[in-house]
Amino acid sequence: MIEINNLVKRYGDKNAVKGISFTVNDGEVLGFLGPNGAGKTTTMNIITGYLSSTSGTVKVNGHDILEEPELAKKEIGYLPENPPLYNDMTVKEYLSFICDLKGVEKERRKNMLDNIVAMVKISDVYNRLIGNLSKGYKQRVGIAQALIGNPSILILDEPTVGLDPNQIIEIRRLIKTLSKNHSIVISSHILSEIQEIADRVVIINHGKIAAVDTISDLSKRLSGQSKILLTFRGPIKDAVTKLRTVKGIAAAVSRVADSRYSQVELTIAANDTTETRIAVFELMAREGWPILEMRSLDPSLEEVFLSITSGKGGVKS
Amino acid sequence: MTAIFKREFLSYFRSPVGYVAIALFSFLSGFVFYTQFATGVVDIAGEVISLRSFFFVIVPIITMGLLSEDKKRGTDVLYYTTPINLFNVIIGKVLAAFCLYVIMFINVIIHIIVTVNCGGVVGVGAIGTIIVFFFMAFMFISIGLFASAITDNQIISAIVSFVLILITQILGTIGDYLGSAFTSMFSGINTKIAGTVGSAISSAINWLDPFVKTQDFRLGIFSVSSLVFLVSVGILFLYLTFRVLDKKRWSQA
Amino acid sequence: MSKLVSTENKKTDNRSDKIKLYSIGAVVILIGILVIVNVLFEKILGKALTFDFSASLSNTLSQDTIDYLDSLPSDTKIQITGLFEKPSNISGTRYQYIIPLLDDYVRSGKGKISVEYVDAKTHPNIISQLDPTGSYDLANNLDSFVIKYNDKIKLVSPYDCYSYDNDYLSQGYYYVVGNNTEYTFTNSMFILTQGYSCKAYVITGLNDDPNTSLKNILEGMAIEYNELAVAENFVIPEDCDLLILNGPDSDISEKMLVAMTQYMKNNGKLLVSVNYNINNTGEEFFRLNKLLNEMNINIDPALITENDPWHQLGGYTTDTSVNTVGAFVDYVQTGALHSTFARSVREVDTPAPSISVYPVLVTSENAATVGVDKNGNEIAGTYVSEKQFNVCMFAAGEGEDPAKAFVFGTTNFTSDEYITSYGLNDSNVTFIKSCIRELTSTKMVTVLDIATKNVDNFSLTPEKATASAATAILVIFMIAIPVILVAAGIIVYTKRKNL
Repeated sequence: MIEINNLVKRYGDKNAVKGISFTVNDGEVLGFLGPNGAGKTTTMNIITGYLSSTSGTVKVNGHDILEEPELAKKEIGYLPENPPLYNDMTVKEYLSFICDLKGVEKERRKNMLDNIVAMVKISDVYNRLIGNLSKGYKQRVGIAQALIGNPSILILDEPTVGLDPNQIIEIRRLIKTLSKNHSIVISSHILSEIQEIADRVVIINHGKIAAVDTISDLSKRLSGQSKILLTFRGPIKDAVTKLRTVKGIAAAVSRVADSRYSQVELTIAANDTTETRIAVFELMAREGWPILEMRSLDPSLEEVFLSITSGKGGVKS
Repeated sequence: MTAIFKREFLSYFRSPVGYVAIALFSFLSGFVFYTQFATGVVDIAGEVISLRSFFFVIVPIITMGLLSEDKKRGTDVLYYTTPINLFNVIIGKVLAAFCLYVIMFINVIIHIIVTVNCGGVVGVGAIGTIIVFFFMAFMFISIGLFASAITDNQIISAIVSFVLILITQILGTIGDYLGSAFTSMFSGINTKIAGTVGSAISSAINWLDPFVKTQDFRLGIFSVSSLVFLVSVGILFLYLTFRVLDKKRWSQA
Repeated sequence: MSKLVSTENKKTDNRSDKIKLYSIGAVVILIGILVIVNVLFEKILGKALTFDFSASLSNTLSQDTIDYLDSLPSDTKIQITGLFEKPSNISGTRYQYIIPLLDDYVRSGKGKISVEYVDAKTHPNIISQLDPTGSYDLANNLDSFVIKYNDKIKLVSPYDCYSYDNDYLSQGYYYVVGNNTEYTFTNSMFILTQGYSCKAYVITGLNDDPNTSLKNILEGMAIEYNELAVAENFVIPEDCDLLILNGPDSDISEKMLVAMTQYMKNNGKLLVSVNYNINNTGEEFFRLNKLLNEMNINIDPALITENDPWHQLGGYTTDTSVNTVGAFVDYVQTGALHSTFARSVREVDTPAPSISVYPVLVTSENAATVGVDKNGNEIAGTYVSEKQFNVCMFAAGEGEDPAKAFVFGTTNFTSDEYITSYGLNDSNVTFIKSCIRELTSTKMVTVLDIATKNVDNFSLTPEKATASAATAILVIFMIAIPVILVAAGIIVYTKRKNL
């Protein structure tokens, strides 16, 4: 369990983190969501002891990170955004160095390493030089490093950034496996990723907490925010008028007017976009306007914040 | 501490750095030994003293990457986020570099064996200079480690430690020069006072000269106080290194 | 607005301000502690924690010097001035043994001795300060030390602080064999503070020996060394307390015989040493014997050869070990002294009853003498064998302060050739000091007995340090080992690179 209370971090005369408080409960996966530069990494660095806060406290399983750093750090496995890897060591050498560093006893070491290597699937690169590994493998070695010493809490900073889609899926799967035995804090700037993995989410922007919510509540709040981008060939004014009449569409805004095609952004009232898309297709077919492209639009984080902050009142009333 | 020591010490031999440093030391010590041997008179104390003047080349090579590389790779995160004390990190790194020096010194031990077998004498002065050699190695490694802590660029670190060690090695000359410069600068105002202050400046700087302090060891005079001085300078730089590393957490820049 | 922000900043920066203050404070405190510890070690514990492990403690004063310094009145001020800038690196220079020892003088002097270095080139007035009368020619001795006590000064050159191998010295090389630094400085101070106890005159002009060692020995006994040149009007000064004739190659003149006979009649003290060498093989010292016969002693023109193998040194019959006898056994701890190319000394056949003669140094019972001609060849029929011979005899008259003479048939006790090879700590030197003490005993004050010290010698055995061995060392240590190491580095690097 991590208790974070009124955390402030100042760089020069700019506050990177402005009084953040939240709690990570045992056994949960907490998504830490925010755009780049929101203060996610700074917060995580403070939690892990890499940075000291300007004010505020962090308690890891009851141990203050400043007052009992060694006890607190024992409970945490940290994978920074840039994994702390030595390119001139083999995976085996590296992991045994981490064991030394975390003071893992000799008897437990082999067993632990075998488990971890099997779990993060790096046995086939075990004797290779880290510098020669692919990004995905490096990320796995980074996770393996965080797992050494059996910490009860894992803190993963943007674990999927820079990976290709296959690798992203693999890593997500791995995190899901890990969540059975660990509390996990995972940061990301991608909403869908957090939605997929996390039980609860903390949304942070400009160094402040925008929202703390469970994933199901978040989904509710985001209802009415689904959008569809529609590109077709046809008269734009006419089409917008007609689209507004389709059931389930709250608004239709023309986006780009081009001589070759028209583009419309549709806001959907209901959560389910499938029915609406069928209706739109039928309308287009009826009118004889060929559809060039139709896809759902992910809301940007800024929009999410806007909707969350503005939507709060809505939820209340 | 042992974890850091093990990694750093082994990393000297995983990369060419350790081999090159030892090869360089072997070559230099071999050269000094050969020139003495060729004349038929081998003074091991003299050889060790000559080797001391190569600190400013070898120490930067073995200390430049100790901390700067960690910063560059981002591996310094490990020192802050694992249950290890920063001080142990520093001690482990110093020990690793120091042990590399010990390994280099095997060359001199071989030279000693050859000397004794050829009827030469290893006097008490040689033992004294060897003791001083290792204390100085500790001191200069501390300085090199400090230079490595203040930057994330190996080359800058090497240059800084090179300059710092070089200054230490020519401290006597610097002291004399500054003293006489002061004297000549202010002798127009008051010759006597300028002279006194000038010589006070040079003797103050000379007091800091580790080479002058320990030169009597060669003659068989072992003074604990000069070793205390070397250790003090070493400890000071280690503590400064610790502060620099610790500052990273607090700094607001 | 900005003011508000800044006060807020201050409030929130509290923790880091504290840490910053702590960091700086901790560094300052650490520096403070280190400075205090260093000052403590250097100023207070410095001497106690300084250990002289050098061979023969070359950098530490002996108890004799310390006792002497302690015996000086507490208001004594002895100032030692080096006429040059204090060199920062003294290893391997002629100051190597001098400067550290002077530091020990300051430590042991408890304020009575001060040492300073004043570069006379940049501060020329130091010369007139030290030597107002200009009688010591300091300007031409800028590598030297000046010892000053009250208004008296003494000049000590670094060359005075060592003894040199005579063979090399004759070729112009200073090959140091002994370290006399403490000997020279303490004796100089002793002479300055106590004054000379008596005057010795050494006759010069009968050989080429410069008497350097003899001078050292005499000065070490606070006896003023003077030279008395052989001249037309040879006169022995009134104040002569000891007359020395050291290894003459030719006989004394008639005039000298008269003067010296008169001197001995007035209860003079005489030390004579002769030997056989290539310059005096044919010399029978007719007039010298005439003088010595007055003391019941005669030097025979006969070379002593030793037949007892236990007395031969290195198997040579003319390089021998001789024994002290009678009261002279007490003069030196070892009973065996070193004699080379000695003439036989004996009591005259009809001794005058007022003079008693004692054998001092004797050969084995199985020695022989042989006459040698000018070319160094044996004179037929001069061989006398199976007998004990005297290498040295002592004669003394009667009365309170009688005439006394030591006559040595060998110069091993007085010559530079011998003493520079064996050093001032040699038993022969100890012995001759005792002889001089015997001769001048009535005049002697307490005398220091400072030992000289060894210098380091790092020479290799020449048979092993050959040119081919040097080449092997060049190849192994300068080429093979570095190349192997670099190769190992390259192999490891390339192997690991492809892991």
